[in-house]
Amino acid sequence: MATHRDETWWKTRAQREEGHYIGAGSLALDPQFADTSRPQLVEREQTRVAFGKLIELMRRRKGWTVEELASEADLDIGDVLLIEDDLAVPPEPRAVYQLAKVFEIPQINLMQVSGLTVPRDPNLRQETVRFAARSQSVEKLSQSEHLALEQFVSVLSRATIESASDQSDTASTNNS
Amino acid sequence: MQEKKTMTLNLSEAEMQTLDELSVKKDLSKTAVLRQALRLYQTIEARLDLGHKLFIEDSAQNDKSELMLL
Amino acid sequence: MNQGGLPVFLTDALSGDGVPATLVTQIGEQQISDWHDYWRPALEETLARLRVIGVPRARWPQTTHWNWESKTKQVVGLLAFRGFAITSQGVTQGLMRVDLNHSGRQATQIGKPLVYVEYLEVAPWNRAEFAKPRYRGVGTALLTAAVDLSLEEGFHGRIGLHSLTQAESFYRDACGMSDLGIDENYDNLRYFEMTSEQATAFLG
Repeated sequence: MATHRDETWWKTRAQREEGHYIGAGSLALDPQFADTSRPQLVEREQTRVAFGKLIELMRRRKGWTVEELASEADLDIGDVLLIEDDLAVPPEPRAVYQLAKVFEIPQINLMQVSGLTVPRDPNLRQETVRFAARSQSVEKLSQSEHLALEQFVSVLSRATIESASDQSDTASTNNS
Repeated sequence: MQEKKTMTLNLSEAEMQTLDELSVKKDLSKTAVLRQALRLYQTIEARLDLGHKLFIEDSAQNDKSELMLL
Repeated sequence: MNQGGLPVFLTDALSGDGVPATLVTQIGEQQISDWHDYWRPALEETLARLRVIGVPRARWPQTTHWNWESKTKQVVGLLAFRGFAITSQGVTQGLMRVDLNHSGRQATQIGKPLVYVEYLEVAPWNRAEFAKPRYRGVGTALLTAAVDLSLEEGFHGRIGLHSLTQAESFYRDACGMSDLGIDENYDNLRYFEMTSEQATAFLG
C-alpha cells in the first residue's frame, strides 16, 4: 500500500465528497446468526416504513386521495394518515383488516408487514425490507415504483399459498 | 503487507500451459491466478457446507443445471 | 488483538482542518462495538429527526437495516473477503467489505478480476443527511483502500460496486467511475466500475 500520501493529498480528495451521499451495497437482509446477541434495532422501523409505503403506493395506483381510501376502507382519514406517515404509532388490527380487503391482499401477510404479528416467513421479511429501501416518495408512481410495488404484491400473494401448503404438509406428517 | 510463505509446485505440462493461458486471459501473474483459484474454491466449499447448491446457467438455451462438486 | 493500521487523513467539515485517522485492514471487535454502541443510536436519532422535519423518504438512508456484526461473521476465515475500517478520535468512522471473487463487466476488462466493494457505509454523523457532517474523506479513504488492494493483488487498480441510489453522483462524478447501468439482478442498483486508467487518475 502506498505510504507517500501526505495530509494535503488526502484533504484534496476529501473535498470531492462535498454535497455527495456515499454508500454501496445490496439492500438484502443479512443472514441471522444464532449467537448474535445484539438485536436488530431498526427492523421494526423498517417494517413500518414498508407498510406505510405499501398502503400509500396501492392508494395512488388506484388514483385515490387519502379521503377516498378512508371512505372505501371505512376508516377515519386520521387513521390512514397515521398509517402512511407516522412510524411511531402502530396500526389498529381492524384498519389492517379493512385495508387487506380493499386492496385484495391476503390479510395474514399484511398483518406481518404491518408489524402486528410476528413475521413467520423469512422470504417475506427479506422482501419487506427490500421494498422499504427501494420505494421512493414522488407524486406519480414512477416506473421503478410500479416495479417495486408489483414485485412486493406478488410476494405477498404467493406467501399465503406456500405457507398454506407447508401447513398441510405438517398436518399430514403429524397424522402419519 | 502480510508475511508470506514460499511453496514449490510441481505441475504437468498441461497444467503449466493452462496456468499460462489463464494468466494471459485474466491479466494476472501465475501466482495471482492460483491465489484466485484458492479463494474461489474456499468460497464455494463454504457455501456448499451451508447446504447451498452451485448452478451453471446457459442463458441462450434457458437452461440451468447443478454443478456437482466433490 | 493488534489491528494493522495505516495513517490517513480526514477533513473536519467545519474547520477544514486535517484530522489524523487510521485505515484498519480488518473489521474487528472494536469496530463491531462502535457500530453497535455509536452508529445505531445515531441512526435512530437521524431517522427520528428526518421524520419530524418531514424529509421525503427518498432521501432517507437506505441502509438502516444493515448489520455489520452479521456481515463480518458471514465471511470469517474466507480468503476472498476482506474488511476495512477508518477510525479516528477513538471511534470507527466508516466500514467496508470487499470480495475478490468478481470480474469486470466492462468491455475493456471483461473477465479480469477486480476488487468488488460489497458494502461501504460511513458513520451516521459523517453523512450528507445530517445538518453538519462531521468528517469528510471517509468514503474516499475506503475506496482508496479498495484500489490499493486491487493493485497489491495484481488486479491493476480495477474495482467494482453497486451504488446506493443516492450515492450515484459520487461514483460517477467525484470518482470518475464508469456507469454500467441499472442491474436488474441486484435490487435495481446502478453498477459502477473503475478501470486501471481510471484508478491511476483517482490516485492521481
